[in-house]
Amino acid sequence: MSTEAARRGPRALARQRRRRSAARFWQQYRTHRAGLLGLAALVLFALVALTAPLTVGSGVSDVTDAPGRPLEAPSGRFPLGTDRFGRDLLGLVVWGSRVSLLVGLLAAVLSVAIGAVVGISAGHFRGAYGTVLMRITDWFLVMPTLVLAIALATVMSRSLGTVVLAIGVTSWPTTARLVRAQTLAVESRPYIERARALGGGHWHVMTRHVLPNVMPLVLAQTTLMVSSSILAEATLAFLGLGDPTVVSWGGLLQDAREAGAVSAGDWWYLVPPGIAIALVALAFTLCGRAVESVLNPRLGVTR
Amino acid sequence: MPRLVAAAGALAVTLTAGLATPLDPAPRRAEAAPAEKVLTVAVAQSVDSLSPFLAVRLVSTSILRLTYEYLTDYDPADARPVPGLATDWAPSADKLTWTYTIRSDATWSDGQKVTAQDAAWTFDKLMTDEAAATANGSFVSNFRKVTAPSPTKLVIELKKPQATMTALDVPIVPRHVWEKVTDFSAFNNDKTFPIVGDGPFVLTDYRPDSYVRLKANKTFWRGAPKFDELVFKYYKDQDAAVAALRKGEVSFVAGSPSLTPAQAASLKGEKNVRVNDAPGRRFYALATNPGARARNGEKFGDGDPSLLDRRVRHALFMAVDRKTLVDKVFQGHAVEGQGYLPPRFSSYFWQPSASQELTHDPARAAELLDRAGYRKNADGKRVGKDGKPLNYRVLCHATDPNDKAVGQYLEEWWGELGIGMRLDCLDNVTDPWLAGEYDLAFDGWSVNPDPDFVLSIHTCAALPGTPKDTGATDNFICDRTYDNLYTRQLAEYDSAERATLVKQAESRLYDLGYMNVMAYPNAVEAYRTDQIASITTMPEAAGNIYGQDGYWSWWSAVPADDSGSSGGGGSTGVVIGVVAGVVVLAGAGLFLARRRRATADDRE
Repeated sequence: MSTEAARRGPRALARQRRRRSAARFWQQYRTHRAGLLGLAALVLFALVALTAPLTVGSGVSDVTDAPGRPLEAPSGRFPLGTDRFGRDLLGLVVWGSRVSLLVGLLAAVLSVAIGAVVGISAGHFRGAYGTVLMRITDWFLVMPTLVLAIALATVMSRSLGTVVLAIGVTSWPTTARLVRAQTLAVESRPYIERARALGGGHWHVMTRHVLPNVMPLVLAQTTLMVSSSILAEATLAFLGLGDPTVVSWGGLLQDAREAGAVSAGDWWYLVPPGIAIALVALAFTLCGRAVESVLNPRLGVTR
Repeated sequence: MPRLVAAAGALAVTLTAGLATPLDPAPRRAEAAPAEKVLTVAVAQSVDSLSPFLAVRLVSTSILRLTYEYLTDYDPADARPVPGLATDWAPSADKLTWTYTIRSDATWSDGQKVTAQDAAWTFDKLMTDEAAATANGSFVSNFRKVTAPSPTKLVIELKKPQATMTALDVPIVPRHVWEKVTDFSAFNNDKTFPIVGDGPFVLTDYRPDSYVRLKANKTFWRGAPKFDELVFKYYKDQDAAVAALRKGEVSFVAGSPSLTPAQAASLKGEKNVRVNDAPGRRFYALATNPGARARNGEKFGDGDPSLLDRRVRHALFMAVDRKTLVDKVFQGHAVEGQGYLPPRFSSYFWQPSASQELTHDPARAAELLDRAGYRKNADGKRVGKDGKPLNYRVLCHATDPNDKAVGQYLEEWWGELGIGMRLDCLDNVTDPWLAGEYDLAFDGWSVNPDPDFVLSIHTCAALPGTPKDTGATDNFICDRTYDNLYTRQLAEYDSAERATLVKQAESRLYDLGYMNVMAYPNAVEAYRTDQIASITTMPEAAGNIYGQDGYWSWWSAVPADDSGSSGGGGSTGVVIGVVAGVVVLAGAGLFLARRRRATADDRE
């Protein structure tokens, strides 16, 4: 064993170890049928979003050369009907997936990043710093997220960045709490004490020992957070707090509401974006649950 | 398991909360005798104040119009002045003294007689108390003195001749009530009910953003209204208002500002609902910031300096295809914009001549911009001499779907010209507007039969005194030629002559390019024919119902025979709600019980 290690070097060994654990992960993930279903749906949505410039093109959101009459019912030419400007709704739903997915992903990453930093540092520095940080977290936890996000989105200018920021900075406390708990558990293990005795500083302990151990948790949390971020984006856009010139699923719902499609019974304006939001959120949740149970078997039985 | 219980608990809480609201109006409804005919109107705009000295919003002024009579009213047929409180009026030979005869058969709702002293006191208050002049101060700025030599005679002396003396839209208030008010800027007239008035209805109750309740004034001199009660009920969501109309919970929906084309189309097929699609009294314009400034000459705000060039303003408007906007955004429920005043006011309606009209012509717009020195750079963006690209902020009302829709068209049309644009949709546009912190803005006013007010808001005199003040100005326009025409029309007593001057003023305003009227939106509103048998529109031939220049619609509305059943809809809704709630709760309980049994089985 030791000769083999000497021959191949520590980096190659690490790579090999990672490859093996990835394979093991995939093997276990495969056993979760719901997780596979979610993953398939996600791949499909990602493909649709990424190929949208080729399939529908950015011209689909142009109001000046909209191809149809306003609010046409579904027909052969427009499978999902047209919106209030006469634009093709199928194209808009496909085009809108880009913004919804992008904002959902960015906001989730931002939220989890904030949560991880706060959680790890609060778990590591347990004195006054950790206490203050946790009280701030508690404060954010009890604040109604949506109200806070609305307040933020209102005071800042209306753009995608604002929405990402509004969702990101309001939804991190759960992650922070989870990560802190895991950090505390990791830091009480003997090898951390050994690392300290060998001269490992705060930075070394946090990045080399704690971070790799909380990473699975963070990963699972990110996947789960994406679905709630997509929902939050749709909510904000529906409440009219998004950029009105950008096509997103929530924005389409808001357009439909403003055009009076709800009381007029123009279902084709409301249903497709609504179903798309529900499907993507479901897909991310299914994936997240599967990842969570693979990485953290102690969670118990999963269905 | 605990999570499930918590969820069920939350469900129960929401259900009870949901039930509390529909149950709430039930006892109040029981108060009214069953024979009472109630006319319910769905509104969305919040009341700014119930004080006639402060209120400026359409909903508030409409309600005040129902409770306080004016000196003169407008005929519903052709909008000419007809007797209100004044039965007769005449100017003196030198045009500077107007004498009104006040009717002797009008009484306040507390039994006191309405006299000329009340009118004199009201006008005097407007002239002497700056706080009282907030809403209607413009009407009296030219008054020298107002006296009431007898209870039936009102004399107004003017500094200069004023043509609008038969169009003084000032609610006359009871002196014996309002004398006690000390601070007019703070008194909102919404503490003691009923509010003493002399209009066709008496305001009996008000709760902000919930309802405004009015009772018919049975002793109204023109005749009592046919409905016993008039309720303005708040529906902040227009779809909810339309649904309420479908169910018969409300008799009338005006929408804010009007029903959407989709809603109108779907209501057209509905039984017992009539959609009233009439030429509106509003104009819908794109206002340009001319460099905000105060009367003392101080400049403020941050409007783009390139807009001070008339060629740029004209180019921007030439890129706007008004026909497409009427076709697509308003879907035919509007008339293409031309001059400042809507065609409904035919005597003052003005159209630009062929040579001065800013027709839709993107090529000419590009040429104008080139000539103004804004040429396209390598990226296709127009840049000024300082090398900065043209980029405009357009202020839009977040509550108005039309603003956002038109904004998207503008972005693409101007984008083709090489001009960038950002749509700033805000719930409260007033703050940046008054501060002059915008480049362009969506603008619109309801026009009265006498156009004086909407013309006056573009004069230099309307500018704020200092940057900190709030002026009557619409968007800081100040032009000598226009001011001159405005002053002349105000002093002209001959109506034909005056119309000519008004048209010249409109022409000047059009050429300036600060106010570009894109459309005159129709009033699209709907009412239930099984609750309202007939109602007067204004103008009578084809006109609007909500927000008239007068109280004709609600005063004239005749209840349909079976409107008594309208109260049933609400209680049925409550019953359905309760039943649904019980079913859901039972279902949740059953589900929980089964879950519990399942886990118990698992444990064994």
